[in-house]
Amino acid sequence: MFEFAFNSFYEAIYMNGHGIYVWSVLAIVCLSLLVFFTLYSSKIKQIKKKLNEPN
Amino acid sequence: MIKKFIHQFASPKTYLFQVNKFYNYIFFISVFIYISSITWGLLFTPEDFVQGNSFRIIYLHVPASFISQSLYAAMAVSSIVYLVWRVKLAAYLVIAIAPIGAMTTFIALISGSIWGIPTWGTWWQWDARITSTLILFIMYLGLISFHNSFSNYEKADKLLSWLVIVGAVNIPIIKKSVDWWSTLHQSASITLTNKPSIDPSMLYPLIGSIIGFFGLILCLVLLSSKNQILIREKTKSWIKDYV
Repeated sequence: MFEFAFNSFYEAIYMNGHGIYVWSVLAIVCLSLLVFFTLYSSKIKQIKKKLNEPN
Repeated sequence: MIKKFIHQFASPKTYLFQVNKFYNYIFFISVFIYISSITWGLLFTPEDFVQGNSFRIIYLHVPASFISQSLYAAMAVSSIVYLVWRVKLAAYLVIAIAPIGAMTTFIALISGSIWGIPTWGTWWQWDARITSTLILFIMYLGLISFHNSFSNYEKADKLLSWLVIVGAVNIPIIKKSVDWWSTLHQSASITLTNKPSIDPSMLYPLIGSIIGFFGLILCLVLLSSKNQILIREKTKSWIKDYV
């Protein structure tokens, strides 16, 4: 069950021509998550900073 | 009694302190589960006999698709809680979930389209499953714009909740579209009632990726709701102590 499914690193990237589809989807998912985590974290920091400012 | 229970545990203040307590645990456990399951699925599962290596997109597409629908269901439940028991936190959750729901639906649509190129020979087909998912994406965007168009938060929350409940009719349609109509999209590989139609070597990483992705999305919902609470409760005295 935990055997590497490919014979080489290149084969894992290429995936018999399907690598471009698989890796691009992975990139989209990671990028979307990264953007949202960064966006919300920075928004919270901004609000906290604003609330801490003396009136 | 139920009302008292809900109000006690759903006060924005209690929620915010609980979120801070558990957020890091949920985040790091989810990251670990997601990365290991994705690595397992993309590199260690055998190639599919029919689809070849393109089937590996399942580990990215299915979690996004499943969670995009679950998030809408969560919004509908929160809307009911808000309208019935007037729990403010439920209203904050509805609008906090919407952008994340839009993002997961976007991932589901894009990953499905990319998967369609090598398997179906087309990136788009106006079939029932794909079209109803596109409608879900448009609904998420519409709900966000609708809420943002109001200056009165209370009125916006109330109307948004009603709209979310009405729109919930799309969720069973998406779910059942592959059974009700003849579609290009395959039927569900995992159901609660039937034995999974995929091999365990492919199934376990899929379950892991769904759990891991769910955890990460939960973290995003927690951050987004925290953001909403800080904006909406900024005049409250306890917020000053919190910040």
